[in-house]
Amino acid sequence: MTDFTTAVDATGRADSAAPSGEDTGEQSHLQRGASSITLQGLHKRFGRDAVALDGVDLTIEAGEFFTLLGPSGCGKTTLLRILAGLEEADEGQLNIGGKDVIDVPPHHRSVNTVFQSYALFPHLSVRENLAFGLKMRGMPAAQREQKVAEIAQFIKLGDLVDRRIDQLSGGQRQRIALARALVCEPDVLLLDEPLSALDAGLRSQLQVELLRVQKRLGMTFVFVTHDQDEAMVMSDRIAVLNGGKIQQVGAPREVYERPSNAFVARFMGHDNLYRVTARNGNRLTTELGELEVEQDGGGDLVLIRPETLDLKPGHVEGVNHLHGRIAERLYRGSHAEFRLELAGTTLQAVVNNRGKHMPDVGDEVTVLVAPEDLVTLSE
Amino acid sequence: MNKRAMRRGLTTFWWLTVVFLYLPLAVVMLFSFNASNSAARMTGFSLRWYHQLLGNEQIMSAFANTLILAVISSVIALAIGCMIGYGMYRHRHRKLGWLIILIYLPIVLPDIVFGISEMAFFVQFHRLTGFLQPGLTTMIIAHVTFQIPFVALIVYSRFVGLDPTLFEAAKDLYASPVKRVVHFMLPTIKPALISAFFLSFTLSVDDFVISFFTSGPESATLPIYIWGAIKKGISPEINAIATLMIGAVALAAVFSLMFNRRRA
Repeated sequence: MTDFTTAVDATGRADSAAPSGEDTGEQSHLQRGASSITLQGLHKRFGRDAVALDGVDLTIEAGEFFTLLGPSGCGKTTLLRILAGLEEADEGQLNIGGKDVIDVPPHHRSVNTVFQSYALFPHLSVRENLAFGLKMRGMPAAQREQKVAEIAQFIKLGDLVDRRIDQLSGGQRQRIALARALVCEPDVLLLDEPLSALDAGLRSQLQVELLRVQKRLGMTFVFVTHDQDEAMVMSDRIAVLNGGKIQQVGAPREVYERPSNAFVARFMGHDNLYRVTARNGNRLTTELGELEVEQDGGGDLVLIRPETLDLKPGHVEGVNHLHGRIAERLYRGSHAEFRLELAGTTLQAVVNNRGKHMPDVGDEVTVLVAPEDLVTLSE
Repeated sequence: MNKRAMRRGLTTFWWLTVVFLYLPLAVVMLFSFNASNSAARMTGFSLRWYHQLLGNEQIMSAFANTLILAVISSVIALAIGCMIGYGMYRHRHRKLGWLIILIYLPIVLPDIVFGISEMAFFVQFHRLTGFLQPGLTTMIIAHVTFQIPFVALIVYSRFVGLDPTLFEAAKDLYASPVKRVVHFMLPTIKPALISAFFLSFTLSVDDFVISFFTSGPESATLPIYIWGAIKKGISPEINAIATLMIGAVALAAVFSLMFNRRRA
């Protein structure tokens, strides 16, 4: 049983009045409440030639906040729907909490979903929406009411529970949808772009709230998004998908800093990818010039992350130094983004605003990059 | 042209249309309260024709038949049309062109063709099996056939207006197929069902042509009675029946609209 009795406020912080022994209690819930997921060789196609999933193998640990990230049509939503049981896989195996569930219909799976459109029942009040899953499972009314009251306190719904669905704002609906799924105490909670319909401010507030809820409950969350920033903020681990295949699985820092191929690098927002034309030990000949890397992982591309670059006025020598001219500067307050022209191509650089000298358009500069910050990868 | 004059002109046109539509009804209603039996001159106010209705056994039995026919056919049409409407919704992505036309055809088919076909069918059926002698049962069957498309349409459009993920949410929240019908689908489309019932009810009460061809000697409804009585000339009694029918149908139509508008 998951314990909802400790409330989380709007920013997700636990009530300060909570007893100090709380943490050990949380720990035991984590072990009982969460389930791991294993997928093996999942294939799914729609119609004759639309391949949604093309052989997906994946293990999601119990209690993990796991994100499926990718552009639209990459198969992430199909994968989530197969986990929910709303879509059937053509081939492959699916285990949730050690049980083979590939043929189990959705209403017999201990998995709940927070839908992108929230999917709150319009003919029911908020309270009845929250109790729906429990009622369908045959829980007696008195117990249902108690559970609903607990979840309402946990998610801090306040007097929202007595409203009608059409009286709620988008953010409120989102939280009701979350509460409606959590109150069923599923082994796994699935979230299908639950924040995409909200404006930026509310969105980042709910990101924090969602993350804190997950950490307190220790429940396994599988989260789908196309927004790499959201994925990095929220996730313990991220799987990047494209064309129905997993491109990379790893912690946010791994995926962002060590993308395993050009698709992942571009999707994580990196533009500085340059062709490697020759290599001699750790010295690479690239479109930009000679670059020394700490470790050459092979592949015919080198990635230079804009924020690892150092810009120095004039001509300076260093391990990896490139000379260029600033073609464009976007001043963003906390930092500035530069577009440099060098070696017949362009290079993006991001420099934090430390209040010192900031180069301007037309300046000749030296770009310094440390060998350990360079990543080689293949297309 | 002057905008205000234009608007005033359109308003006048609107009221003229209303008068054109409802003046004949108003005349019938007015003369149903006529003290004399003249169809030309209003001599005074009286409820005598309404009193006379109550004493007329034929009219009372026609009234009962109308009511029984309308209620039973509407309930049956509701059950069948509801299932068809859901089926149309579930398979809306498939190409159902000719099937949909089959369902809609009764709406556009001339009543008289429909009525004659029904009659011919029942006569043959009775001759071969001995069942379904023309009477209330055959009328109920005939009415159900023309009510179904309307019910199916209303139910279908209600389902189309719903967020499709609601069906998935119900599954996801542990509702078995039966529980999905009882706790999600029926409550969600309840306003549409009530609306469809009242529409079917008015269609049935309104119908003369199809009833005429499928009725038996004992199963005359009000429209059939009026048709028979009118051959002897328009009596003020008919005006009273007509007025009551206008009232009943208007009431049912208002209910139908009310519930169709209410999106739960």
